[in-house]
Amino acid sequence: MSGTEETGAPAAGTAARTGPPGAAAGEAAPQPPKEHGAGDGRAGRRIRQVRELGILLALALLVAVTTLANPGFLSGQSVRDLLLGATLLTILAVGQSMVLITRNVDLSVGSVMGLSAFAVGVTFVSLPGLPTPIVMAIGVLVGTLCGVVNGVLVAAARVPALVVTLGTLYMFRGIDYWWAGGRQINAADMPDGFLGLARITLFGIPLPAVVALAVVLAAGWYLRNYRSGRELYAVGSEPAAARLVGIPVDRRVFAPFVINGSLAGLAGVLYAARFGTLDATVGTGLELEVVAAAVVGGVAIFGGSGTVYGAALGALLLSTIDAALPMLQVGSFWQQAVVGLLILVSIGLDRLLAVRAARRLRGGGSRGA
Amino acid sequence: MSRPVLELSGISKSFGAVQALNQVDLAVDPGEVVALLGDNGAGKSTLVKVIAGVNSGDSGDILWEGKRVEINRPADAQRLGIATIYQDLALCDNLDIVANLFLGVEKTAFGALDEVDMERRATELLDSLSVKMPSLRVPVASLSGGQRQIIAIARALLGEPKVVLLDEPTAALGVAQTAQVLDLIERLRDRGLGVILVSHNMADVRAVADRAAVLRLGRNAGDFGVEETSYEEIVAAITGASDNPVSRRASVTRTEEA
Repeated sequence: MSGTEETGAPAAGTAARTGPPGAAAGEAAPQPPKEHGAGDGRAGRRIRQVRELGILLALALLVAVTTLANPGFLSGQSVRDLLLGATLLTILAVGQSMVLITRNVDLSVGSVMGLSAFAVGVTFVSLPGLPTPIVMAIGVLVGTLCGVVNGVLVAAARVPALVVTLGTLYMFRGIDYWWAGGRQINAADMPDGFLGLARITLFGIPLPAVVALAVVLAAGWYLRNYRSGRELYAVGSEPAAARLVGIPVDRRVFAPFVINGSLAGLAGVLYAARFGTLDATVGTGLELEVVAAAVVGGVAIFGGSGTVYGAALGALLLSTIDAALPMLQVGSFWQQAVVGLLILVSIGLDRLLAVRAARRLRGGGSRGA
Repeated sequence: MSRPVLELSGISKSFGAVQALNQVDLAVDPGEVVALLGDNGAGKSTLVKVIAGVNSGDSGDILWEGKRVEINRPADAQRLGIATIYQDLALCDNLDIVANLFLGVEKTAFGALDEVDMERRATELLDSLSVKMPSLRVPVASLSGGQRQIIAIARALLGEPKVVLLDEPTAALGVAQTAQVLDLIERLRDRGLGVILVSHNMADVRAVADRAAVLRLGRNAGDFGVEETSYEEIVAAITGASDNPVSRRASVTRTEEA
């Protein structure tokens, strides 16, 4: 493709240099003008699509195999359970992706989700008259506040995100434990209207799954079509360059933490509505599963690439694995090993695709610099 | 002779006890390439920063198209029409060429990014520079060093500057890629832009520059027309003496040849 022409161009440039300056343009002119972006223009996009297609393929394969082994796997109720299960992970993976894209990470999401879920329960218990939507808003707000704490520490105090969120992971969990004091809130403490949210379906799809889908589409649209969304990628790709062109880097780092906190809060609310039993351990250990979902979905841990669609598919795949392996009579010990293997395979695949694409684009030549 | 688009006179700048620039003059005409030469520590980078607005001078005047101006911040320089391309390329590796060209100045339609318009403008821009890229939609990480430098320069042109300041544009490039960048610099001159080229590479300077302004220990040490000045004379101005290792070596080689 155009790779071979690309290696030809520098040679033409050298030839032109030997002539007097005025002749350089004249000598270059006889080359037939080439359309930029033809052919390989789609290469970059194709790499990303291959990535998402690969996950879809793996998902389809998994579902097919499981259904063959156990036809009950595709029954309406089973699929609804699966979607409900994937809902929380998907919402958290979307938020996490936005943070990862800016070359940061938020390890505190599990604790934030737990804290906001418990806040919802406590609010129902202590203020029984409060309308359900307001209580739900309080849950989201708690998550948002946690996100603000993370964001301020990372963006303003310039502490590495890994350290900050590792700290807040324990801090938020500690607050949760202190607040709960060994207490448990049960379904009986919460109004039926709230608990029924998880059972409402739209065209057969559970409401929480519809919410998750809306979150994915909104975040995907924002990242793809808005300046500030594009700038998140720029910040994660090369912070110094982003600063030089005048992008408010600190603000672009801060915002994803807040959004991620809000989404973790939303996940907490949905958790409370779905399970109805809340204590201080809700969401423990979830953070790494969320990061795994994003990474499997093609969101690079070192920032600047990936889409929330991929992350959502990654979350769906991990949830499906969780649901499918018991049906395939695979021991629960193996589940974690499978997830680990999947992460390694997806990272290896990324590397392979990147290397192959680079080779094709350079026409086999090495980078000069 | 046309009036200089940018003229600095008597620029001084000191950092504590160190006098980095002492009464330095520099002028660039439209359609002229001025090479800024000097040994390490001669004050080139400081002068570049003064022009780009990163540091402001302690004293001295900056004239822009004959009028006295203040450049206190990078934004001031950009508003006047001075584009600075730094040595560390400042491109975002994961973004494609179009996204990099329009980074920070994206075109939007109804609040959303207008990719079609940006791609069309990018194509026009690169075509007008006779630059060929394999594709506009690949991440710049997959481009060669020379292509990346060209994209960095092209991006600076989007703001329609009148003066382009290039800090060591060929420092990390191979021979063929250097030639590409030098071609581009010539096209900038043909467009009537004033170009200030900071370089260590005398071959580059002789190839594209019209004049060579030499700094030595923070002072002007000569302003030469490149056509009528020999390599040794310029090196002598840079090092501050005709008796220096480089010219001595050159004369020895010449006697051996004779």
